[in-house]
Amino acid sequence: MSLGARLRHLAAYRLAGRAALALNRRREERAADRRPVDPTRALTPPLRSSARMRQMMSEHYLEGRHASGVRPVAWVTSGAPAEILKALDFFIIYPENHAALCGARRHAQALCEAAEDAGYSRDICSYARTDIGTALTGNTPVGRLPPPDLLLCCTNICQTVLYWYRVLADHYGCPLVLVDTPFQYRETPLEHEVAYVRRQLEEIVPVAEKVAGRRFSEERFTEVVAEAKAASELWLEILERARHRPAPLTAFDAFTHLGPIVDMRGDAETTGYYRSMLAEIDRRIADGVGAVREERHRVLWDNLPIWYRIGSLSRWLAERGVNVVASTYTHAWGELAPLMDPSDTFGSMARVYMHPILNRSAGQKLDAMRRMVGEFEADGVILHSDRSCKPYSLGQIDQRDGLVNQVGVPALLLDADHNDPRAYAEEQAAGRLEAFVEMMAR
Amino acid sequence: MHRVVAAIAATQTNLRPAAFFDENGSGMSVTAQLPNRREILTEVRRSGYRPVAVLPYHYPRALLRAHGFHPVELWGPPDVPRDEGSRHFQPYTCDIVVRATSFLLRGGLDGVDALLVPHTCDALQGMGSVVGDFGPVAPPVLTLYLPRGERPADREFLVAELRRLAAALEEIGGRTPSVVDWDEAFGAEDAADRALAGLYDRRAGLAATDREFYTVVRAREYLTAEAFSALAGSVPEGEPPGGVPVMLSGIVPEPMTLFDHLAKMGARVVADDLACGGRRRYDPPAGGDPFERTADRILSGPPDPTRGAPIAARAARLVEQMEKTGARGLLIYDVKFCEPELFDVPLLRSRLVEEGFGVLHVEVEMGTELPQQTLTRIEAFVETLQ
Ligand code: SF4
Ligand code: SF4
Repeated sequence: MSLGARLRHLAAYRLAGRAALALNRRREERAADRRPVDPTRALTPPLRSSARMRQMMSEHYLEGRHASGVRPVAWVTSGAPAEILKALDFFIIYPENHAALCGARRHAQALCEAAEDAGYSRDICSYARTDIGTALTGNTPVGRLPPPDLLLCCTNICQTVLYWYRVLADHYGCPLVLVDTPFQYRETPLEHEVAYVRRQLEEIVPVAEKVAGRRFSEERFTEVVAEAKAASELWLEILERARHRPAPLTAFDAFTHLGPIVDMRGDAETTGYYRSMLAEIDRRIADGVGAVREERHRVLWDNLPIWYRIGSLSRWLAERGVNVVASTYTHAWGELAPLMDPSDTFGSMARVYMHPILNRSAGQKLDAMRRMVGEFEADGVILHSDRSCKPYSLGQIDQRDGLVNQVGVPALLLDADHNDPRAYAEEQAAGRLEAFVEMMAR
Repeated sequence: MHRVVAAIAATQTNLRPAAFFDENGSGMSVTAQLPNRREILTEVRRSGYRPVAVLPYHYPRALLRAHGFHPVELWGPPDVPRDEGSRHFQPYTCDIVVRATSFLLRGGLDGVDALLVPHTCDALQGMGSVVGDFGPVAPPVLTLYLPRGERPADREFLVAELRRLAAALEEIGGRTPSVVDWDEAFGAEDAADRALAGLYDRRAGLAATDREFYTVVRAREYLTAEAFSALAGSVPEGEPPGGVPVMLSGIVPEPMTLFDHLAKMGARVVADDLACGGRRRYDPPAGGDPFERTADRILSGPPDPTRGAPIAARAARLVEQMEKTGARGLLIYDVKFCEPELFDVPLLRSRLVEEGFGVLHVEVEMGTELPQQTLTRIEAFVETLQ
């Protein structure tokens, strides 16, 4: 650990940076408080918590700029067991979250193109292309990403992440630890599958200890797992509040508030943040405030968001009285909470990390959607057919048919890509969405 | 150059058919003489074995055989349109999955007792899941999760996963293999593995065109082990056709007319890293617990993206093979939308170029003929190697 790096970390992040971001947040909150409510807008004002969320995410990436040489840095997949690394005080970067941020801020296309210029096919996942573009050019809207000392890849969302992290391991020359999670074709994991994942989780520890240069503490690990569980439970509660009519938040709100539960799960500050967000949502419910001013249709969203169209799509739908009240994607970070058991950390985590919706069969995903349609009283389902996320998208044709024929709700397959705007045909999408809304109105 | 002509007299010898090779230059082709998959299915049934359709590409052959099953692999096929498969999979799904689904839905393999979908990639995960859960195809769907590493934990898991598969096969076939069954199965399948490896080892001294050589290699996809061993063993020795030596990488060389085009362009394939070929050069261990033995066979294959091998290890193997065989360039011939292959291309290219080899990457939609544009690119590549 170099003294220079520590001083930079202290000055630029801990003192000046955090203070500036706190000030900025207060300004944003005051501005939001003073802004008159515009009754002509289809969406009610955004959650006040957004300012705090932005502050947290900015602090996170700001620390990242100065983390090298101060804290060990790990890059991990969104479904990876980061709690183990948290317990060893790793600074953690989630490349998928970084890529989503690039998508939302309209930087992704240029980064994808940089990766394509280097030979990466346009047919591979656009998150991977975005981040490979950053690795190759150094360009990122967050200033700088600290290079990884360790890569942790968990296949519970897709096999793509392993192909991608093999590229990163080659590029950065650092160790790559794999947690391979057998795909769940059945409802309940088999014993040999649980044993396999558990053993791999335990085997992360010596590698991570070596990279971090410190001993793993069971006690600290248990604390982190407990904290992660608490935050995940709160996150699930927040999402479940959208069962109210009118729903106090949209799935688009949930997409943008996903950052802390993905990137900072296990930190006390994250738990505190979601507690205050839940309180704000409860106030909305008490005041009868819905996220969409005139909620006429309630819709379930399947798959990743279209990051570069989040704002425009949510407004467009709201203007037609549509509130996208839930999504299978955001629920993925909440529904694992009940499986977490701080008294059996590795054992429960083995089950948790095999359980994400992306690691379960197409039929189980249809069952989950069927359940959510009922619980959220959804009038229809939009299935984002995401060109570059094969694991989430393959199976959607039969799932749509199941929703239409068995559940009896209109279901739309909407062609797009989560991060690459070149795969989104604006007019065609608008036409199909119009027809879908009309169908719900019948 | 000798022309290789093969004929399989499957019906005469039950599951142990003979193979005949002539060197008569009669103009008959290997493909004209080999039985097709349907004929094999009929014969397999007649011999008391149960046919099982298998998707690409690592799976336990001896285990299937010991349980009374015979695998017939599905790699497309390229001449089956995507139509029926497209009712289940989006346009950005690879041809292997979509066309195989079409083929099954058209009754292409009616009469198989099961469908085995190894968890090779996200696309086959989707296929296994869709056909298993939504039942567009009739036979029971079996899955096999292949671990993405070679650590002790991966081996232990694979052994247990093979036991699970064996239990499912027992349930369908009602047969618990005896020690004799296992010995018989390993004897035949290990010999076929050795015959495949032997073909590659003898490649430089075989009087076979590339088309003929790969027709024989790919006969492993559906022939019985004995028929394949006999076929492989009877490829005559002699001077192979000339041409600029190239190595071929990718999943499957479809359409097989690729080889005719390469020959016309003056190229000759001297080595490969094909999923249907060189990546299945296993080094089967002798003896031991049948499940451990089966797992070790699969894990003994060369570095492979679908098994999580580091890209550097894969590049090193390519360089080693190219140096050994004198290949001057690498043709990476990928099925469109095949992520496991696409991610490795830039790094493989840069390593090989550093070593002085030429590299061309093409992505191909399966069909009965290659697009002219692709042929032009390949031709230009071959010219640069000359
Ligand atoms: S393929 Fe899908 S699940 Fe995998 S990293 Fe890309 S977006 Fe995420
Ligand atoms: S071609 Fe590639 S993506 Fe398709 S099944 Fe084969 S390995 Fe999977």
